[in-house]
Amino acid sequence: MDTVTTVNLTKSYGRQAVVQGLDLRIPQGCVYGFLGPNGSGKSTTMKMLLSLVQPSAGEVHIMGEPMNRRTRRRQLARIGSLIEAPPGYGHLTGGENLRLVQRSLGLDEAQVNRAVQAVRLDKQLDKKVANYSLGMKQRLGIAMALAREPRLLILDEPTNGLDPAGIEEIRELLRRLASRGVTVMVSSHLLGEIDKAADHFGILAEGRLLFQGSREQLFAAAVPDVLIDTPEPRQASAVLDGRLTTRVEGGSLRIGGIDNRVTARVVADLVGAGAPIYGVRREEQSLEDVFMTLTAGGRL
Amino acid sequence: MSAVTVGATGPVVVNEFAKLRHLRVGLVAGLMVLGTVALTLLSTVTSAEFADPATRTWDVPLAGLSLAVPMVSPLLLAVVASRMVDIEHQGNGWLMGSTSGVTPGALCRAKLLTAGTVVVAATVVTHLAVWALGRLAGIDAPVPVGLWAGFAVTSLAVNLVVLALHLVLSAKVDNQLVALGIGLLGTVVAVFGSGFPGWFAHATPWGYYSLVAVAGYEGEHLVTTAPSYLSVLVLVGLAAALFVLVTSRFDRQEARS
Repeated sequence: MDTVTTVNLTKSYGRQAVVQGLDLRIPQGCVYGFLGPNGSGKSTTMKMLLSLVQPSAGEVHIMGEPMNRRTRRRQLARIGSLIEAPPGYGHLTGGENLRLVQRSLGLDEAQVNRAVQAVRLDKQLDKKVANYSLGMKQRLGIAMALAREPRLLILDEPTNGLDPAGIEEIRELLRRLASRGVTVMVSSHLLGEIDKAADHFGILAEGRLLFQGSREQLFAAAVPDVLIDTPEPRQASAVLDGRLTTRVEGGSLRIGGIDNRVTARVVADLVGAGAPIYGVRREEQSLEDVFMTLTAGGRL
Repeated sequence: MSAVTVGATGPVVVNEFAKLRHLRVGLVAGLMVLGTVALTLLSTVTSAEFADPATRTWDVPLAGLSLAVPMVSPLLLAVVASRMVDIEHQGNGWLMGSTSGVTPGALCRAKLLTAGTVVVAATVVTHLAVWALGRLAGIDAPVPVGLWAGFAVTSLAVNLVVLALHLVLSAKVDNQLVALGIGLLGTVVAVFGSGFPGWFAHATPWGYYSLVAVAGYEGEHLVTTAPSYLSVLVLVGLAAALFVLVTSRFDRQEARS
């Protein structure tokens, strides 16, 4: 069952469409990496999921129930979130901030303690939030979101301002939550920050969903270039001239956008034309490469 | 494990009191009391009526109070409202509240209740302090309970209206210097309101301080007058309706991107 589904979710301000026709499907118990360049509509989408921003068109369903102004209060009881800047009253201590959340949601002490331990903030609770580093504020914000023990956690760029160790801790926390059945939606404009934690991805650019699916599907969506190793790359290129776009790179010939069937035919043609070939391979690509391919190098 | 409750009113108000910690709102309220009482005493002991035991009545401190309240209250009320609202701007509190089911309008209404309690307490302490110090200074005449109570209630009502206005202003405009600047202008209007035509006093909330004054000088004579109950009643009704309307709009407002 999907925890979050949206149908044709759209948001426009005047004539400017910020989010266009989004059909999100976020499976239960997964870490859903919501990726896209800055300004691609990630935060607006997350706000619409929380009913903080009203969609211009379309619907949001959370755990099978519609999410709108009428149902918001009931739904928010089971959704934890951290949107934009981490919250926290600077003149109060971390502990006092958490007590505000505890009182406002009617939580017990144990729930708050578990959330604090999850983000390892227990030793910093007596410090005023004004004296927290950005990383500590992020942890406090996540603890506030976790305290209600949500079934869905929506985190907007939670690794902002964290050092590498802090980022790894957050990744580990997200994986741990997902393993307990919590659905986590986490956004970032930096793929590297969440690619190790997420098992499902949605890639947004200019308000449109370019891709949505599992890690495997994401790799399959962008066909990596084929590299043909040959001592005579120029001769090999001449054989394929006019039929395919090729590029000579040292002792290799690079051919982009061809599937396995075409690759087999290219190899046969080259061998038939007498070009010496000693290696054929697909270029290894990272998720970053796939992301850059799908978003046209981040320009989209 | 507790069942999560979202957006209940009681905890929101209790939280507003909890947020007052370290915010020095109590100190500002103390300054309001101290400033008002000090100005009242100063004008009382320097008046000609006070010098003569035969004319040493409660009208003298009431005239001092009628002048001190508009001099002190508008700016300090703006400061109280600003301190209570700015923490929401600085701490991303509006969004945090919204994600817990507490809309910005509900937050503003809870803040009025909280700050209003502080202002009510400050008003009671101020009037009791003036009465006690007047007694100590040797004013033995009977207390004009009706007149004094009328002034206390109507000036409190005007204070609450000004407070509500400043809460909305501070919530709407992030830069708190704007709200404090308006509070300063309000002080000018409040102090000099009695010198302007009646319609002008009715045109802004600060002008109503001149309408609730119960004692003052006409030439060299100290005269007393009843507060304009009807005007204040209309002001309170109008302000309450507007406050509910504006904060309801805050409730429907979308989170800022």
